[in-house]
Amino acid sequence: MILVSLVLPAAVAVWLLSAGRVVSHKWDNRITVTATVLTLAAVIVAVITRPEVDRPWVPALGLRWHLAVDGISAPLLLLTAILGVGVVVHSMDRQPSGGTPGAFHACLLLVEFGALATFYARDAVLFFVAFEVVLVPMWVLISRFGDPHDRRQRADAAGRFVLYTVFGSTLMLLGILALVVKAGTADLDVLARAAGHGIPVGTQVLIAALLVAGLAVKVPVFPLHTWLPPAHTTAPTAGSVLLAAVLLKMGTYGLVRLPLATVPDGFQRVAPYLAVLGAVSIIWGGLACLAERDLKRLIAYSSVAHMGFVVIGIASGTQTGLQAALFANVAHGVISALLFVVVGGLKDRWGGTDLRTARAAVREVAPRLGFALVVGLAASLGLPGLAGFWGEFLAVYAAWSPADDRPLALFRTIAVVAALGTVLAAAYALRVARVVWAGERREPLIEDSRDSEWDVASVLVLATLVLGVLPGPLLALTSGSVAALVGGGP
Amino acid sequence: MTATAARLVVLLPAVAAVLGLLVARRIDPRAARLVATVGSLATVIVALVEVIGVHSTGPVRALQVAPALDAGELRIPLLLQATTAPALIALVVAVVGWAVQAFAGWYLRDDDRYGTFAATVSLFTAGMLLTVQSADLVLTLVGWEVMGWCSYLLIGHWSRKESARRAALKAFLVTRLADVGFVLGVVILAAGPGSTAYREVVGFWGGTAGCADAGACAAPSGTLRTVAMALLVIGVLGKSGMVPFHDWLPDAMEGPTPASALIHAATMVAAGTFVLAQLFDVLVAADGARWLLAVSTAVTMVYAAVLAFGQSDLKRLLAYSTLSQVALMLSALAVAPADEGPGAGVLHLYSHAFFKALLFLAIGWLSIAVGSTAAARMQGGLRGHLFIRPAMFVGLLALAGVPPLVGFVSKEYVLSAAEAGASEGGRGWLVLLAGIVTVPLTAAYCMRAWLVLDHVGSADVTRHDSDSAGVPVRTAVTVLTVLSVVGGVVVFTPLLDLETHFGWLLALVSLLLVVGAGLAVRTVPVDDQPDPATRLFGSARMALFDKGFGVDRLYVTLVARPVLKLADLVTFLDREVVDAYVRGTAVTAYWAGKGGNRAHQRERAASGLAWVVAGVVAVALAGVALW
Repeated sequence: MILVSLVLPAAVAVWLLSAGRVVSHKWDNRITVTATVLTLAAVIVAVITRPEVDRPWVPALGLRWHLAVDGISAPLLLLTAILGVGVVVHSMDRQPSGGTPGAFHACLLLVEFGALATFYARDAVLFFVAFEVVLVPMWVLISRFGDPHDRRQRADAAGRFVLYTVFGSTLMLLGILALVVKAGTADLDVLARAAGHGIPVGTQVLIAALLVAGLAVKVPVFPLHTWLPPAHTTAPTAGSVLLAAVLLKMGTYGLVRLPLATVPDGFQRVAPYLAVLGAVSIIWGGLACLAERDLKRLIAYSSVAHMGFVVIGIASGTQTGLQAALFANVAHGVISALLFVVVGGLKDRWGGTDLRTARAAVREVAPRLGFALVVGLAASLGLPGLAGFWGEFLAVYAAWSPADDRPLALFRTIAVVAALGTVLAAAYALRVARVVWAGERREPLIEDSRDSEWDVASVLVLATLVLGVLPGPLLALTSGSVAALVGGGP
Repeated sequence: MTATAARLVVLLPAVAAVLGLLVARRIDPRAARLVATVGSLATVIVALVEVIGVHSTGPVRALQVAPALDAGELRIPLLLQATTAPALIALVVAVVGWAVQAFAGWYLRDDDRYGTFAATVSLFTAGMLLTVQSADLVLTLVGWEVMGWCSYLLIGHWSRKESARRAALKAFLVTRLADVGFVLGVVILAAGPGSTAYREVVGFWGGTAGCADAGACAAPSGTLRTVAMALLVIGVLGKSGMVPFHDWLPDAMEGPTPASALIHAATMVAAGTFVLAQLFDVLVAADGARWLLAVSTAVTMVYAAVLAFGQSDLKRLLAYSTLSQVALMLSALAVAPADEGPGAGVLHLYSHAFFKALLFLAIGWLSIAVGSTAAARMQGGLRGHLFIRPAMFVGLLALAGVPPLVGFVSKEYVLSAAEAGASEGGRGWLVLLAGIVTVPLTAAYCMRAWLVLDHVGSADVTRHDSDSAGVPVRTAVTVLTVLSVVGGVVVFTPLLDLETHFGWLLALVSLLLVVGAGLAVRTVPVDDQPDPATRLFGSARMALFDKGFGVDRLYVTLVARPVLKLADLVTFLDREVVDAYVRGTAVTAYWAGKGGNRAHQRERAASGLAWVVAGVVAVALAGVALW
């Protein structure tokens, strides 16, 4: 089933790129929807049955084609597969501009393929390869299918995205190679079981620092975040959704899988710095949102702030922290997807996202879109009962009582700072609500959401609500693997 | 039965909210009204069943709502409780919720967003009922924040008005800022025993009584306890609108009157009292937190009463009176001795819910007839209305604290608690003094409101001819009126655990003060100017009262502006410093490439070859050396 869910999108993508170029947008879309739905089904089966694939790949180097599912990757796999369907359905009535529909859909499928492979991978080098596969289709999505207004901006955003993240990946590759050479294996399961035994602490710290630095670009953590706003702003809606909901998660997932699991002693030394940067991200992102004039950039900066909570959770070194991080990861995936669908829709209708332009109040002229926007904003400010709350609350808790080997005073300060960050989140969310959602203007009239856009938005609203009201199943899904990873707990 | 009822009390209004939202967009408001009324009535019935159940089959202290959450080291059991005080207060909340729904169905009959409003009110009620019945800090927090969000939506209901948008934003941001304290308080309290269940939290932090595990009861750090409770108190002060967070509440009058009735009477503003009452055993042990609470409530009590007297808008007068009364109930928790318990505060929460809801509904009803809530426009408005006039009369008497109305009973219990607390030190004296000053002030503004509303000279009976309020509205107001009159008998029933005493001497003193203040205000107005406040202060000074002595400006200059300045700075740094390195790398690489290219082109072939040979030699040497 793992192989089915990987081969299917890849094969369809290749077909679309080669033979599918002549097919119309409608048929491209139908084929892609079918492919993604089947992929989703395969992923669901894989999550339930937990199969494992383990074949030699490059025997000379000891590399293996090792794929599996566990509690940590399962929620992210589901998220990726579901959003994979979502973005394709969302593009059903939207002919992409700037290239052939075949290429557009192929890129979406390839991103999904790469992300799934990253989450399945149990071999450090395979992980790296899958991690990089995503870059090229994403680059195409941004530079070809992005904002049609400004070519230079597209080129800048796409180039910056690729170069910046490749720079991060290079650091990560160095870390992985050092780790593999020192430990003598690239198998992540074996590495996690060994938990860094036999590697001197100094080397562990070096490896952890390289891995953290590399992955921090992807997350992104302050001050390595400046690629994110232009990329999000320029990408088409489907691209923004995938960027925010899937690509960023690869970074945090990597943090859990690589440094935290394989070199815990080294990670422990690096963690305080990471947590401080996470706290700075929260405040920095929140403040930037207060002054930002472009709605799409604003949502992008809010991602920086939200990922700060995830990073703090990971750095705290407790089970609660890791649970918080994994939950907040999924929650942010859903919420940011929702917000980007809505804001992308608004951009299409308005022709721009400058907040200073006077426009009709969305609540008045497009109640459905307004409702989705308000739910997204409320979830984004961490309202209980919606998805955003649990991860952030637990992250603050984890920072207040971190693992015994973390500096207590520092982490408690971080907890306070993070809690203050939620006020900034409220401030910018309500700022958007006040400017965009509420008001008395009724012109220029915009069309309300319907058909595929509304289908996707309402499913995301529902997901936000379900995760918020019933966080139990998701927490239970991850708890086993988390306990195994952090260990020592009850 | 009790357990099921307790669950349903939270679930029913939540379901009503979802259903209400689904039918909200229909043009015909009847479906939305039906859902709202039936939902709120069913909640009242279930709450009644719960009260009966608690007193017939005994309380249920821990009641699972959902499987406990698996959050690593932290245990989140998600417990509710159905015990004496929560059951009674839940019933009060349900009754007020029903009255508000019944009233809103008429008040907002022409509003195109009535459906959304009714659904939000249902959700709001659900949030409050969750907070009241919660036995788990996380559930309390959930209910607490849901109320905050609903208050944002309700205050900003008329979002086409700029003033409503601003008031909603202000209300949410001020309370959210204070909620940082609440969240951190919850986190610290939960971090002690590693659980969010009230029983374990109280067992860990509050003395040794009721401690299940002797090892876990090793005396926790007193400082940390004080910090945690002080933070929690800050959150409560914010939601309850105590000084210095008080200024959001009068502005919240921008919301429709039913929303104000709900927010002020039985829910959000008073919720803090109940949360602190649940954690009273911990609060008693945290002296610093109690001082904070006492000082803030004592100041608010007097200050808000003074401001209430000078308001030119009667709805804002009621808003300030809420601040003063909520300060009174919170002050009971700040000073009550450990052996008296939080009963007095909870009792005042109970009684305030009835008469404040009554007053708001009456003033809302009247405002429809006269077209405004400004004192000048409302003059003589009560004359000629057989329904609002007695209701308003009862409401104001109860607020002023005239016996035997419900307001008198609960206020005296609070003052008695303060008297008992005074024997323990300065904190009790502070609150007692503030309470005794507040009593005549309250009577004074109630008298003022009555003089304005009941002025014969400006009566215009024809205004009430077109009154279209139906049976639900009249029923709701009648029920609240009756409860405001006879609600005080609750102290003779087992419905509330009151371990505190009743100070007869103090009651006599405050009664004299009430009568004296009332009569004094009565002498002020002259025939052509029925409003004592205008006569005393003149309209120029009234403007100062209306602005709340300019606290809003203080918020803007001290908090909002600096934060926005900081935000601008961050944006600048983000672009010019953090991103400059990135762009710098690109520029450097570009010029290096260009420079290399130019240098390369200038080379002659021969020298290029020489460089290649040199390179080969260098590599070979390196190879040999490293071999």
